[in-house]
Amino acid sequence: MCGSNIAKIVDTEAVAKFASGLPNVVTAKSYKYMCSNPGQEMITQDIKDNQLNRVVVAACSPNMHERTFRNALKSAGINQYLLEMANIREQCSWVHDDPVEATEKAKALVLAAIRRVELHESLDSVSVNMCPNVLVIGGGIAGMTAALELADAGNLVHIIEKDDHLGGNLARVDLTAPYLYSARDLITERVTRIMNNKKVKVHIKSKLTELTGFIGNFKAKIESLNGSPAIEHKQDEVEIGNVIVCTGYKEFDASRIVHYGYGKLPNVITSFELERMIRSGRIETKDGKIPRYVAIIHCVGSRNKEFHTYCSRVCCMTALKYAHEIKNANPDCYISDIYIDMHAFGKGHEDFYLQSSEAKTLFLMYEKDDRPVIRMAGPKDDCKMLIEVNEKLSGEHIEIPADLIVLMVGMEAREDSHEIARIVNISQDKDGWFIESHPKLEPVATTTDGIFIAGTCVAPKDIPDTVAQARAAAARILARIAKGKIEVDALYSEVNEDICSGCRFCNQLCPFSAIEFLEDKRKSHVISALCKGCGVCVAGCPSGAIKGRHFTDEQVLAQIDGLLEVY
Amino acid sequence: MAIRVNPMFIDVLDRYGAEDVQLCYQCGDCSTVCPHADEVYKFPRKSMRSLQMGLERKIETSLEPWLCYYCGQCSTQCPREADPGETMMSLRRWLISRYDFTGIAARFFKSKTTEILAVIITAIVTGIFLLYYGFSGGSINIYDGEGAFLPSTFIHKFDLSIGLVVAVFLVINAIRMWYLTMIKGTPFYVPWWLYAVEFYQLPWHFFTQKRYAECESQRKTTFFMPWFVHLGLMLGYVTMLVLVMVFIEQFQSGPAIKWSVHVFGYLASIGLIIGTIYFIRKRFQKNYVQYKKSHSTDWVFVVLLFLIVVTGIAQHIFHRTGLLQEANITYVVHLMFVVPWLLRMPFSKWAHLVYRPLAMYFAAIRKDALLRQEEAVQSSPVFIK
Repeated sequence: MCGSNIAKIVDTEAVAKFASGLPNVVTAKSYKYMCSNPGQEMITQDIKDNQLNRVVVAACSPNMHERTFRNALKSAGINQYLLEMANIREQCSWVHDDPVEATEKAKALVLAAIRRVELHESLDSVSVNMCPNVLVIGGGIAGMTAALELADAGNLVHIIEKDDHLGGNLARVDLTAPYLYSARDLITERVTRIMNNKKVKVHIKSKLTELTGFIGNFKAKIESLNGSPAIEHKQDEVEIGNVIVCTGYKEFDASRIVHYGYGKLPNVITSFELERMIRSGRIETKDGKIPRYVAIIHCVGSRNKEFHTYCSRVCCMTALKYAHEIKNANPDCYISDIYIDMHAFGKGHEDFYLQSSEAKTLFLMYEKDDRPVIRMAGPKDDCKMLIEVNEKLSGEHIEIPADLIVLMVGMEAREDSHEIARIVNISQDKDGWFIESHPKLEPVATTTDGIFIAGTCVAPKDIPDTVAQARAAAARILARIAKGKIEVDALYSEVNEDICSGCRFCNQLCPFSAIEFLEDKRKSHVISALCKGCGVCVAGCPSGAIKGRHFTDEQVLAQIDGLLEVY
Repeated sequence: MAIRVNPMFIDVLDRYGAEDVQLCYQCGDCSTVCPHADEVYKFPRKSMRSLQMGLERKIETSLEPWLCYYCGQCSTQCPREADPGETMMSLRRWLISRYDFTGIAARFFKSKTTEILAVIITAIVTGIFLLYYGFSGGSINIYDGEGAFLPSTFIHKFDLSIGLVVAVFLVINAIRMWYLTMIKGTPFYVPWWLYAVEFYQLPWHFFTQKRYAECESQRKTTFFMPWFVHLGLMLGYVTMLVLVMVFIEQFQSGPAIKWSVHVFGYLASIGLIIGTIYFIRKRFQKNYVQYKKSHSTDWVFVVLLFLIVVTGIAQHIFHRTGLLQEANITYVVHLMFVVPWLLRMPFSKWAHLVYRPLAMYFAAIRKDALLRQEEAVQSSPVFIK
């Protein structure tokens, strides 16, 4: 009854009375909160007392309480799949206001559930072994963090790194915002620990070429990328149970925005080129002079319809960091920070923004679609270039002197990310970022069991968020390894091999790549551990050879019949 | 036409007292609380922005800094402690140095050593000159008339010539101010008769300082305190200057003069002594937001004035009690303070005596002209965008 949620519209007593009069129904009861402990005990007691072998609960959505009532059945000693729920809350009381008609509809829903439950079968969930080894794709800060977390717990971890060194994009950075920790220190500590850890196998200059199997039982082929094609490529095959993808990002190609003149104007550089200058210890223009005016332009390639509509999240704080670093290196330098909005959302970021103001950074705001224009200065000017922009806060059309212009290039998905996505079977969004299985509640899992994603391959993010995701993914895997085996829901499809013609139509249809083709028998076979029971193959099979367990044709048709019987 | 940003300007203004303007992130709270900001004169926010960006031309042609009487509400309200009130103050200092064609004001504002040295040298030169004059023609024991140490006829001429020098500087600077604000800074047509219509603004603001009172009405201090004292101080020295410039020969003569001659002098002295002590005390206490940061030039003005008042009173007492030798010596000391104090006027914040009423006058004219033009644009179909 769900309190008054259902009872205020639906006459639940009438529905119970109606149900108790139906064939095959032994007892029908109405209770205020069936999901409460007394309610569940009532069900358990009735099953035991009346030797019941099927149960229908007319209540809320199965999303909410199917698990609760399945447990009630389990504790009464009968198979949990012999339950059916009639949703008379979301699909009835909440959406209707006529009590008479709503009660009639509730009766129909209950009858449909009874007709269906009559055909339910006892099903058993399967369990598969969980291989404790883990494959980490990408040796950046995310990959290294996750690998150490897993290896410290005693598991063998393989790291695949495309480059000839670990560290990823972070290795190209000097200091980090907002606390100005050295990025090198962050990485060196991790690399040393990885090198000294016998449980971590680093595959430098390699890539993943193939991943087969399913959760707990993957086989991965790792190919070494040793430059010259003459040398035969060495291939490693490793057995693993889970995969973490942390392939990171690549920076936006600034030359795509033509009027910033990147690549043509010598003193227009990207943020990563400035990092290199800072690391080498000398910030200078192309002709070797110390710049008097430095301008930093934000949102290069980000927050714009032409290129990427999203915000790259780290550039604002990185720009403030540059203001600090440049001012520290050369106190006589004047820094203009040309931005759209100052996104100082994180811990310590607002204070960092204030500090940059204190250091007399000139902040200039421009309209999103009204980009600054760079032109060369005349011989009379004391600067190399001039940036023209409509400044929003003063409402003036201004020109800003600049000797060195830093473009804050945004993050974008790596061009080879679709290849990884194909190999490990995960999806990408329109910008190429990998898609998590739930944006809020499952931020590191994917729709493929056993494949996790972490860091900037999911979306632009800063180092703390990346590390948090890497550790979250490691924790998810450690929990599974600790369990040893993995339970697979009994709701999966089965191929009746007698009927299957081996057309392989279902192999391509399956969104989870759960159907393999048995070459020896020339029949298709569903890997139950991977199948989510979506039913696409059942609907698609031209020979009707595939049965979705718990959603058989007979069960669904009986339910429809029951629904229509009342009217 | 794009305006060139000058990132170095903020460092220049630092020396004039705008030490925190870089913290401003343009939320506009200051303009919201300001009792004087309106739809035409948007300050302090816009002035702060122009300063941050170094739009020198825009600032030198603006009248906004003069419209602010520094009640300090904006500084109290500012979420980033960017001190808009002090920023407006420092812009006024910069504008004074900008109107001043000699460049002396800029030197004084930028270096307190220069200013104090200039004051001391002027004082010494004045002293030497007066002593030389006194000893060459008169006796230290005679106060006025034939053979006096510093006869009133001579002092009258001396005062008038100092006054003339100051007036010449002030008039030239005021003309420069008019050119910058009303010609260079007003890109639309201003009918000549508006100057006549709004002329009453000049004496009105000079004598009442009405807008200062409005500032104080927001803060609800007793008797509108700083405004009241400021007005008293101002009327005090203006009265004194008029007395000294015009009537000195009447009240410097012998002990036989009537007491009633001194009525105005006594009233002015009360205003001056209360005013100088009040402001010196406030600048030490720093409990009002507008007296928290005192620029060196502020101190020079108020301390000199205090010394002038003290020596003036002493000299008066000596004169009336017949201690003529002492009276003559204090007279020299008094004038040693008066001369640098007066000569300094066109080059210091004190010049606001002239600029402020002028700015009110110009601002009223500019606003009228702007509204007239907007009306014309709206009523004429030709100008519709």
